[in-house]
Amino acid sequence: MIQLEQVSKEYRMGSETIYALRNVNLRINAGEYIAIIGPSGSGKSTLMNIIGCLDNTSRGRYRLSGNAVAGLSGDRLAEVRNATIGFVFQTFNLLPRLNARENVELPLVYAGVGKAERRMRSHAMLTRVGLSDRMLHKPNELSGGQRQRVAIARALATDPAVLLADEPTGALDTHTGREIMGLLEDLNSEGTTLILVTHDPELAERARRMIRLRDGEIIHEETH
Amino acid sequence: MGRRSLWESARMSFRSISGSPVRAGLTALGVMIGVASVISLVALGRGAQQEVAGNLQQLGANLLMVYSGEPRGTALVRTNTSNIRPTLTPADLEAIRNIDPELLRLAAPASTANAQLQFENRNAAVTVVGTTPEYTEIRNFRPVYGEFFDHSHVASRSNIVAIGMQVYRDLFDAGTDPLGRTIRINGSAFVVTAVMEEKGAAAQDNSVLIPISTFQRRISGDAAYAMIAVQASEPGIMRELQARIEEHILRLHRMPSMEGADFYVVNQLDLLATVEGVAGTFTLMLASIAGISLIVGGIGIMNIMLVSVTERTREIGVRMALGARRRDITMQFLTEAVLIAVAGGVVGIAIGIAGSWAALRFARIASEVTIPSIVTAFGFSFLVGLFFGGYPAWRASRLNPIEALRYE
Repeated sequence: MIQLEQVSKEYRMGSETIYALRNVNLRINAGEYIAIIGPSGSGKSTLMNIIGCLDNTSRGRYRLSGNAVAGLSGDRLAEVRNATIGFVFQTFNLLPRLNARENVELPLVYAGVGKAERRMRSHAMLTRVGLSDRMLHKPNELSGGQRQRVAIARALATDPAVLLADEPTGALDTHTGREIMGLLEDLNSEGTTLILVTHDPELAERARRMIRLRDGEIIHEETH
Repeated sequence: MGRRSLWESARMSFRSISGSPVRAGLTALGVMIGVASVISLVALGRGAQQEVAGNLQQLGANLLMVYSGEPRGTALVRTNTSNIRPTLTPADLEAIRNIDPELLRLAAPASTANAQLQFENRNAAVTVVGTTPEYTEIRNFRPVYGEFFDHSHVASRSNIVAIGMQVYRDLFDAGTDPLGRTIRINGSAFVVTAVMEEKGAAAQDNSVLIPISTFQRRISGDAAYAMIAVQASEPGIMRELQARIEEHILRLHRMPSMEGADFYVVNQLDLLATVEGVAGTFTLMLASIAGISLIVGGIGIMNIMLVSVTERTREIGVRMALGARRRDITMQFLTEAVLIAVAGGVVGIAIGIAGSWAALRFARIASEVTIPSIVTAFGFSFLVGLFFGGYPAWRASRLNPIEALRYE
């Protein structure tokens, strides 16, 4: 499913070169539940961005669903993101002017899906996350947990193979956070690959597999 | 980019615009004012042009004027030829009248002089025109009451007169029948036989018309005419007719060319073209000035769109993460700018139409809104949106999704 070989990412800061990732090898199979953990500055965000096709590698190879991603144009990457990756962010990143349903439909708009089918799918996704009665609410009329559910429904809209959750509970209280994790894990058990990026070891413990990053390198990997 | 996604981005832009109506309104204000001024100024220019052209047509249809002397200005009809030494002879008139009737319909000599009118104890200073009966037809200046003199009166040098409406008012009490009354022109007695229609211009309303023969004997003492008014058979042959007239009179006057000739011809068509040309230039100038405000409006749109792109950096990042391609982002902001500009344009058109209507209705300023000016103004506001929205949209599409997502 996801295959990184000798992936490096470097940034030039004046005369200095900063390595955000060094020779990372990582293989994630379809349907896996994996946590990427590490302190800030460890390179986990960079890794997430590369896996999520938001960023290109400096060196190395990245294959997603068997296709080489490195070197694709920005627009091709956008199409790959749209079709393959569902993002769940710490701060939800819902568009404030759109209601829940319209937020969920957004990736479908970019996928070129027709209106009737968008309606149907957004309805199904919002029902799946338990918000069938909140479809026409704007984000500011929803609680944090509800917002994150909308975001998850949006991430699921194009039926992506991979859910990429970046600190999905970071802005939620413990109880709500647990509910959201439960929802994500349910989705994983239904077959969606779940990649959880966090700095919280307790949260990472829930994943069946965990890799720990430090200074741009995988320093530890364990399977539960 | 398919039709659907175009519609989709229009819908999205509409949502985003209606989310902040005050800002959108202020953004569109510049274009609104620009378009409104283009519409109303062009309408004003058109109105002026039409009015002048209308006035010119009023002087008579397919009119050519042959004048004694050297060319003076471009006036088609000179109100007063009293200070011109007449050089046009009866032979000239005869030659003109003998021109092919396919070209020439009518010709009438005319000389004018300033004169003092007297009736009972009232006086009036007027222009006396000596002419022949064709004059009324050629100059589109007809009697409303009584009978204009005919050729027999010209032949017999009758002392009869057709008076202008202003002259009637000055000399007679309202309701008095002037026909058959005797008035004195420079001391000579004339019988009033007609009152001419009111033209709204002193040149006609404050004039009296007498047979040319009588004029020559009683007033000028000269057998030549100051001018000859000619009506062409149709507008298309006016230049040909002018050439023929010039040719004939040059021969009769034994002159080699119009250069230094003792007469000249002014034709209505050329004059009309000149007037319309001047009015066109004037309209274009007004439109250009208004066009500048349209550009300023466009810069306003660009300014606000750039602010908007910065404010919505995070939104752009989210959209990119969800699969928006660069062209999707470009389209979104471009349609937004175009929508604002076009909305401003439509409101501006409405204001412009209302404005020129009000000018006509309340200030009696001639103004005509034309369909092409509406279409052009609409098209321009669209282009302004496209042009000035282009750079902000391009900036938005160039954002790096990672940085945009991280933007606070």
